Amino acid sequence: MKTGLLFVDELHGFYKSKVMVFLWIGLPIITLLVRFISAGNSGQNISFTLISALVVSSIGGTLASVMLAVFIINEKNRHVYDLFLIRPLKRRDIILAKFFSVYTCVAIASFIAILAGILTDYITAGSLSTVVLSNTGQSLVTSLSMIAVSCAAGVLIGVASPSVLVGAILVIYGGNQISVIPLIPALFNIQNATIFTILLASAVASGLLFVAVSLFESKQF
Amino acid sequence: MVIDERNKEQTKGIKVINNPLNNNEFVTLHSLTKSYGAFRALDSISLGIKEGEIFGYIGPNGAGKTTTMKILVGLITDFQGEVSIGGFEVPRRKDEIHKLLGYLPQNVAFQEWRTVNQALKTFGKLSGLSDSKVDERIPEILGLLGLDDARQKKVSQLSGGMIQKVGLAQALLHEPKLLVLDEPLGGLDPMSRFQFKDIVLKLAKKGTTILFSSHILSDVQDVADRIGIISHGKIRQIGTLNELKAHLSSQKIVQVLLSYASDKWQEFGAIRHVESVEQPSPGRVLVYLEMGSDEDQVFNNIVQIIVKTGIRVRGVTLLEPSLDEIYLKYVSEAEN
Repeated sequence: MKTGLLFVDELHGFYKSKVMVFLWIGLPIITLLVRFISAGNSGQNISFTLISALVVSSIGGTLASVMLAVFIINEKNRHVYDLFLIRPLKRRDIILAKFFSVYTCVAIASFIAILAGILTDYITAGSLSTVVLSNTGQSLVTSLSMIAVSCAAGVLIGVASPSVLVGAILVIYGGNQISVIPLIPALFNIQNATIFTILLASAVASGLLFVAVSLFESKQF
Repeated sequence: MVIDERNKEQTKGIKVINNPLNNNEFVTLHSLTKSYGAFRALDSISLGIKEGEIFGYIGPNGAGKTTTMKILVGLITDFQGEVSIGGFEVPRRKDEIHKLLGYLPQNVAFQEWRTVNQALKTFGKLSGLSDSKVDERIPEILGLLGLDDARQKKVSQLSGGMIQKVGLAQALLHEPKLLVLDEPLGGLDPMSRFQFKDIVLKLAKKGTTILFSSHILSDVQDVADRIGIISHGKIRQIGTLNELKAHLSSQKIVQVLLSYASDKWQEFGAIRHVESVEQPSPGRVLVYLEMGSDEDQVFNNIVQIIVKTGIRVRGVTLLEPSLDEIYLKYVSEAEN
């Protein structure tokens, strides 16, 4: 199993990529800006953690899935994988390592952005209620679940799509639609919605990754 | 018995000088066929490469060289026929095969964020080398290829020729038993080409089996033990360079270079077994021999006439077909 080796290797590449630099720094800054604008305009006391979660899942998820799809299509078309595929490793290791490395980076970036939200709420309100903390936890779980589905969709589209343009369009219009699936338990007010969100996201992401790996396994390079 | 049947089948429709299908072959391709829709990229090709042999694979663009190599290394798994490396069936035993294999693709590419060191470390470890072995091999290989200064450079900062060398480095890193090199000399300067040929010859001496394709026929001629010519998905000829030359049914020609213009050269036409004589350019006389004639005897007679008539000459040589001529003959035959 070379997934671990490839995972660490891909992390080296992703964490300092331009997109990730934007997510590391830009995501907390954008959430702060959104907070400032929304507070000034609406006058409502919206929890900043909720705003953080929305920003993180929409921007982070979209960027992560587009990044994954574009990287995979580019590397596939440039025959970068040829040198991996002629070595004693499973084809699925390449795909899974890519998914987990991007997901890990985006998950950490999301955590930082939401942490920025908690800190801002703490500074402005003076204290944090258990409700806010519970909501924050729920928001983080929802964000990470949506991002997992987005990333899996990005991988599948990356493997299946022949061109970067087609891939990017499919991810933006298709991948993002799929990523709202984990919101279903919360929308229907199902009891223990958080657990169902995690289960649903895991099932959808695993299904998408299974299809992606199957396609990649049968691909002729 | 199986081999005999394969040999018979192989000889149908193609000329085989040196039957490669014997027991000590490390790579075997038998009736290999690959189609892309209606287009047949490989049409029942069979060849064998012995252990430690350098096999030059030549043919025009789109002849099927890259497809053959991709099937061998397991990048294309959807084909008909039998392929084996070191006794392991391709692609079924790919785990064993990939441990034996080093491959340089035609257009080698790396993830651009990698440094040369990172790329080689990853590929070395993926090939099964330990951390300490990788650290030992990287400077060794980079030194061999003259890439010491490039170790910490990003791949995106390298020239095409240097990327090609890094590609060769990753193929050699784990000391594979079989090297499959697809157009390895493309983009290399003359010095690097010389270095490459030297490396290939040394590796073959150590027992590495090498299959390489190239459009630069002089380079193939320099290093290959045997040469296979492929065109339109079919093997047209296989043999050593001398075998290919001997088999080429072209007329034998003796070239006489005169020191100064003289019409005494016409006397060569009176020699027995000389079909005709011509002077295509001033001072360059070509003596065409009859088919099946003894060139040594005619050569001797030409020298006698030179001595007798007192013609001053710069040289007398038997013209042999070059690999370029052999290549053109078989490829044009296939075209027709």
